[in-house]
Amino acid sequence: MKMLSLLVILPLAGAFLIPAFARISTNLARVVGPLILVYLLSLIIPIYTAFEVNQSSSIQFAGFIPPYGIAFYIDELALLFSLITLIAFLMIWPWGKTNLDANHQEVREYSLYLLLLSASLGLILSADLFNLYVFYELLAVASYGLIAKQDTNKAGVASAASLRYLFLSASGSVMLLLGIALIYTQTGTLNIAHISTLANDKLQNFAGFAACLLILIGVGVKAEMFPVNSWVPEVYGVIDRRLTALFAGLISKIAVLFIAKVLIMIYQQEFILNIILFIGLLGVISGELIAYRAKDMVRMLSFSSIAQLGLVFIALAIPGEVGLFIALALMLHHLIVKSALFFLSEKMHSNLDQLKGLYHQSPIIVILFIFLILSLLGIPPLPGFWIKLNLIINLTSVTNGYLAIGFILLATVIESAYLFKLVKTMIAKTDDVHAAYQNGQQKSYYFALILSLGLLATTISITKVSDSIQNMAKNAANKELYIRSLVPDISKQHKLSSTNRISQLTMHNRQQEL
Amino acid sequence: MSKFSTLIFISGLSFLLIVITAQLPIAHPPMLIGQHIIDNAIQDTGVSNIVTSVVLAYRGLDTLGELAILFTAASAIGLLLVTQVNSSAKQVQISNPNFIIENALNLLFPLLLLVGFYIIFHGHLTPGGGFQGGVIIASAFFINILSKPFKATDSEIEKSHQNLTIIESLSGFTFIAIGLYALISGPDFLSPFLSHGQLGSLWSACTLPFLYIAVGLKVGAELSSLLITLYDSEELKD
Amino acid sequence: MVLLYTDFATYLTTDIILYTGAIGLLLIGLLGLLILKNIFRLLLSLVIFESGANLFLVLSGFRTHGVAPILINSQDNISQMVMNDPVPQALVLTAIVIGVGIQALTLTLIIKIYQRYQTLDMKEIHIKLEQDIANIAQTSPLASQDKPQYMTNQTEHSNKGISSGGQV
Repeated sequence: MKMLSLLVILPLAGAFLIPAFARISTNLARVVGPLILVYLLSLIIPIYTAFEVNQSSSIQFAGFIPPYGIAFYIDELALLFSLITLIAFLMIWPWGKTNLDANHQEVREYSLYLLLLSASLGLILSADLFNLYVFYELLAVASYGLIAKQDTNKAGVASAASLRYLFLSASGSVMLLLGIALIYTQTGTLNIAHISTLANDKLQNFAGFAACLLILIGVGVKAEMFPVNSWVPEVYGVIDRRLTALFAGLISKIAVLFIAKVLIMIYQQEFILNIILFIGLLGVISGELIAYRAKDMVRMLSFSSIAQLGLVFIALAIPGEVGLFIALALMLHHLIVKSALFFLSEKMHSNLDQLKGLYHQSPIIVILFIFLILSLLGIPPLPGFWIKLNLIINLTSVTNGYLAIGFILLATVIESAYLFKLVKTMIAKTDDVHAAYQNGQQKSYYFALILSLGLLATTISITKVSDSIQNMAKNAANKELYIRSLVPDISKQHKLSSTNRISQLTMHNRQQEL
Repeated sequence: MSKFSTLIFISGLSFLLIVITAQLPIAHPPMLIGQHIIDNAIQDTGVSNIVTSVVLAYRGLDTLGELAILFTAASAIGLLLVTQVNSSAKQVQISNPNFIIENALNLLFPLLLLVGFYIIFHGHLTPGGGFQGGVIIASAFFINILSKPFKATDSEIEKSHQNLTIIESLSGFTFIAIGLYALISGPDFLSPFLSHGQLGSLWSACTLPFLYIAVGLKVGAELSSLLITLYDSEELKD
Repeated sequence: MVLLYTDFATYLTTDIILYTGAIGLLLIGLLGLLILKNIFRLLLSLVIFESGANLFLVLSGFRTHGVAPILINSQDNISQMVMNDPVPQALVLTAIVIGVGIQALTLTLIIKIYQRYQTLDMKEIHIKLEQDIANIAQTSPLASQDKPQYMTNQTEHSNKGISSGGQV
């Protein structure tokens, strides 16, 4: 289990060595990345299959016990997301780069991908607030570099999009740092498990609440949260489709996992959950309304993605393990569907009006598209229906829940309006030959096919999948298990002091009765 | 945003920040992990500079992440800016030769290198360490370039980039290799494993001086390469 | 009058001044990011914002009459000294270096943007970026249906400027 720390370290080592290997031979530098990915997969698959249901363990670094040192927390949720990350990076790896120029700097793009991988895995596994901040910054800087590198013919368009994203994301990171500083001044520690034992005493004042808001805004930039998501259409409009699939599908979910960790372990007050409900609601409504007006495919899909992430925030507003279960199901569903849609859109013309008659040029693409959007909307028996049904049923027990249900249904109506209008355009008969079908990369089409088959398999075995996700959520939301695995000495002290307090309270009550 | 609403927003925010600061425990923080580290750092790692033990031992993974971020920024800059091609073999003059600048900077160059390496090597005894020393070394090399009135030829730039890239990659890998050796042979990644040595002497504090030397060389090589790339880039030609 | 002044002066301890400095830097940086339009000045505001946050983080480790957490003479007894907290100092070291990396990358992006758009004004760059994204997606940029006539003329004028001068 200690070897799982290699998940974060090996990609860093590979990234550092790639420019040196490029001096020896460019083919050697080209093959380092996929080799590391395959090795990490071979490391994690045996552990994942042998993992028992309620098992959790922690890896400590540098031989110091957390909270004095840094620790990683391994449970089924972390392993599943690590597996998904490795497979996703294997899918979008740029295999076919042939223009490695003479001064060997182009290989550094491979090291940027490896650094992005290391940062994603670190964000999933880490259990220490400042370590999460460092990996979050690594994710941000690697993505600035990858986005800006998408310029074709030395144009500066992608650099402009990357700069606007940078200003927003760097301000968010500063706010995240301020939030962590505020938590440190109140509690004196940086380990999430340790903070969660102290949260009831020390983080109930205004400084704790301000720290929560700052962390939300800071991480919300990457998680496409309502006020700070203006970068999404600009960036997704200039980068490659497969990179868009990675950012919209995977990286935003990892940022939401960061927020979920902080909320579940540290801040579970009703006031804060209410705020998250409203943020999610605003995200859903703004996303769907702007997507309705969109005239090109990428803009429509990116605003639809903002709306789906708003749904995830609404799900996180439901307290306890139920909220985490629905949020996880929404995240996994959106990961599969949105990535497949982005891969599929590479074969279609960007302008939505030009898609007339696509059905007659390539029926399979349209059938796949219809299958995916039916699941996105929530039509039975596809998984999207069950998830939305669960969300609506559980929202009735939350304050302002009925308001949220109303808005979610309204958003679904708007979504179905523009999506079915698009399908009608695709099926329409047309005489003149439009360039609706583009010759994008064949690989993307196969990936979309694989993801749709995965969705079909999930539809068939929906009860089994739902049970396993529910167990995963129950395990992940179990605060006692988290604290016990990470900081066992402090959890014993905490239990002792809390039982003392309970016995004191019962004695006090008995005295009052007397 | 309009200026008036921005001013209202900023004044409201300043009021909130003042309220938060009034609630903070100023000058008596709850040092839950800080006190434990101060009490145990010397037994655990044998350093005199407790901040170094926090940076390299207790929070070594954060330092590795920080190195990775610098590497990412330098790689992205190297990818985006194309160094200019000076295909002519003869030297291009870019400024008038200035006696004072050339000789003063020639005097400063070894002194800066000396100070930089001193700060790196004594990182576990005095305030300083790899990052600070690395930046000083990078500035030493950059001053060397700035002082010359002739622009470097294509082959010189290529060779300097080659050497700097190799130093950068190998020193970064050395940091990870020391940690991996600790992972494979002993307890965990980046555990300090050599002898503690005598407190306060240069040969003390387990593997921490070697880690700082790797950090200093990497930061120095990286920032030098970054500055050379910015200086020689084609985009800045007028 | 003198008594009032000395009363006030006793409250102005070092930490209050430093916290005022940190909050001031944060507010100045944020104000700059919201108001300014030149992207180079936006970068400088970001630098000030980050400095404010770093100062705030370092101040959280300050103790009254605390000394730096370094053993000067190896004969010193740690348990008798009041040392400042070493953890925020290490955290700020990391945060400063991260900030430096981001600032260097921002400068490179500014260079590339100037090379293409020949302007450093954020509003103009935003408009031109929207136009370029619409060109990539082969649609027209989104416009409100009741946009008044003079604004339509203005965007047509800027379109002409781009198609003649820029290169995609």
